[in-house]
Amino acid sequence: MTQSSGALDGVKVLELADSSAEYCGRLLAGLGADVVKVEPPEGAPSREVGPFAGDEPGPNRSLAFWADNVGKRSVVTSDDDDVLSLCEAADVMVHTLRAPEARSRGLDFESLAECNARLVVCALTPFGQTGPWADYQADDLVLMALGGSMAACGYAPGRDGAYDTPPLACHGEQAWRTASTYAAIAVCAALLWRDRPGSGSRRGQFIDVSAHECSASMTEWHLMAYLCSGQVHKRGPHPTLQGADGRQVAALTPDFLGPHVFSRMLEMLEGEGVAGPLSEPEFADPVHRAANFKEVWRALKRLAEIHSADEIYRLGQSAGLPWGVIRAPDEVLDDPHLRARGHFVELEHPEQPVPVSYPGAPFLAHGSPWVMNRRPPLLGEHTEEVRSEWAPHAASRR
Amino acid sequence: MALEGVRILDFTRLGFGAQATLICGCLGAEVIRVESSTRPDPVRVMPPYVPDPGDKGEGFGAATLANATSAASANRGGIFYKYNTGGKRSITVDARHPEGLALLKELVKVSDVVTESFAAGTLERWGLGYDVLSTLRPDIVYVSMCGFGHVGPDRAHVTMGPTAQALTGLTFMVGLPGRPPAGWTFSYLDHVGGYLGALAILAGLAHRQRTGEGQHIDVSQLEPATALSGALLLDAQVNSRPSRREDFPMGNRRTHPPSAPGGAYRAAGEDRWVVVSCRTEAHWEALVEVMGEPEWANDPKFATITERVEHADELDRHIEEWTSERDRYDVMHQLQAAGVPAGAVQDSADRLERDPQLEARRHFTMLGNSEVAPLPLEGLPVHMSATPAHTGGRIRRGPPCLGEDNGPVLAETLGLSAQDVAKLESDGALR
Repeated sequence: MTQSSGALDGVKVLELADSSAEYCGRLLAGLGADVVKVEPPEGAPSREVGPFAGDEPGPNRSLAFWADNVGKRSVVTSDDDDVLSLCEAADVMVHTLRAPEARSRGLDFESLAECNARLVVCALTPFGQTGPWADYQADDLVLMALGGSMAACGYAPGRDGAYDTPPLACHGEQAWRTASTYAAIAVCAALLWRDRPGSGSRRGQFIDVSAHECSASMTEWHLMAYLCSGQVHKRGPHPTLQGADGRQVAALTPDFLGPHVFSRMLEMLEGEGVAGPLSEPEFADPVHRAANFKEVWRALKRLAEIHSADEIYRLGQSAGLPWGVIRAPDEVLDDPHLRARGHFVELEHPEQPVPVSYPGAPFLAHGSPWVMNRRPPLLGEHTEEVRSEWAPHAASRR
Repeated sequence: MALEGVRILDFTRLGFGAQATLICGCLGAEVIRVESSTRPDPVRVMPPYVPDPGDKGEGFGAATLANATSAASANRGGIFYKYNTGGKRSITVDARHPEGLALLKELVKVSDVVTESFAAGTLERWGLGYDVLSTLRPDIVYVSMCGFGHVGPDRAHVTMGPTAQALTGLTFMVGLPGRPPAGWTFSYLDHVGGYLGALAILAGLAHRQRTGEGQHIDVSQLEPATALSGALLLDAQVNSRPSRREDFPMGNRRTHPPSAPGGAYRAAGEDRWVVVSCRTEAHWEALVEVMGEPEWANDPKFATITERVEHADELDRHIEEWTSERDRYDVMHQLQAAGVPAGAVQDSADRLERDPQLEARRHFTMLGNSEVAPLPLEGLPVHMSATPAHTGGRIRRGPPCLGEDNGPVLAETLGLSAQDVAKLESDGALR
């Protein structure tokens, strides 16, 4: 059994999920829950997804599987009665079954509740259990399209005002991840309610997560912009500065935060010898600045010509500007701030000669630290161990 | 409701922190926003403004705080309505006024959670750091949420959503080869940070429920994002394959697992698109059938997914010839009827006005307040059978007008009479 003092210490989670919900189980494991992933004999579908360690496919070599299944144990079974017996012991079941399949397998909520009245069941599906699109097929790309993120991202139109590039969906399965995160939130809320002292008769419940709804609610100000103005805000890039090393910086100039923002920026630019006309008194007036923004941007470009992207980032931050170097995702591994916060966790794996760093705690909970001491499980690695730990408790739950 | 009985004293503002407490409000927690009428939450006073029935509507444009604070009201900022559903209540208290500070300390004693999203060190300077909070209430769950968190060499750094997106690779992952990244036109990481902030609050409450102990949970906007790129960090280490390379990102093309055809294709109308994403041979065969078995689809270079990926450019041209003459929703529904993943690229108007699935799920709830007529607002997009969430929170109300709950909150939490409140007001503590 895992030793942990995490917030969900002692909570047993059964995961019967394809890749769309694995991030939920990862989060619950990080919170200290004992997360057991039930897989068919051939392994969860994500084990077939690359990239693979050494670019050699294999059920224990999928880096996509490693990324989202760190912290879990693996049980192999093809028998739904086995699943039910594990449900008797579990506190939570996370699955990705649509209603018809759940029913036909006897894994619908009513059946599960009969087996364990305190079980919190969370179903994560593309469109939810109900509604005209409940049977529709979706992958992350389809969800990003229907949810509105895609329409809001991309390059500027061409000179004639027409777009010559498509709307773009971010990589990394963001719609599924948002849905998984909301699922974890709801599971935690359901457990808190169930286990509130003095509420002994409280039961589990069914949590229905629609990835489409989750995806539709993550476009920040866009819906309000339409409601307020009657116009859809179209996609386009926010301006970036290119450093001397060819990398970019997101260099925001949030005038709306107040006049001190510009005065500190000016000081920094003057220090670098690139302020040019910005030193002139009329630029102290935000209205003049807005009307002559090209000059502001030119000064920033002069700065960018003589510095690397990282240097530009730090110069901007030293002047109190919310600048950020645009990193490729793996470049976070070198961030001294994240390292100082102990963010990355190294775990060994039999398929790897050296330990691998994983993103760790999404927050620093000083009293109930994030738990990450289990590498991603080999296929079926814990079948017997889990059965002997969980199954004997089944009788006492009835 | 799931969080009934939980009281959150909420010093969050803008997006990141407010997203966390909005989720808790929708789950039934009482969220008391501690605000300032002299330094209002910027999202209360920034455009886009919710139109006055008498306005023509200002729409979105260059924003300055100078413009915004001259707006007639602190209750028309549109983004405020995005991040402050959940039945949040609003009090105005001046933490820099000795009576205001004393009041806040009394409120801490009767709260379960304190949340804030100021720059690191701000609450300490006011005299409300964790050492003080935990003296007032030993089991307080204190969740701070700010760009770089409270510890670390860069903790004084300033962030907005795009900053965190840049630093954690989210900006980089939106783009076409050979061009700088396009990035996002919205702060996705204000949402993600907020989700993890909510999870932190729930984790703090769970730990307290089990052990009786409170704690400080330090949430940054960076750490919630590092796992969002999936296998890329591992690929860089295990296979020495950095994600900064020629063939990544490839716009909407997906390789793990591959999708071909896969991407956004032009549909009929101006700047209208539809996504088609075939992951299996069955998807491909069904697509070909819906397209009427065109001759080109028989070409061996499209026979298997591997070959379709290899000839993706040519494949995409063929698909787009078909889609570009058709309505995006017709394509979507025809393909879905045949079991092929497909979806119209929807914008804000589409989601609000022509998405029958969001409507069937009652995704939007009409809510307003004393100043703003009801709008279709969002809450928690999760359906719980025993403890349903509600966009209006416990009290079934829209986002609060600034300071509208001074009297009621102070009466309910601290038993203050109307006279007590009036005295505090005239002393300047409730600004």
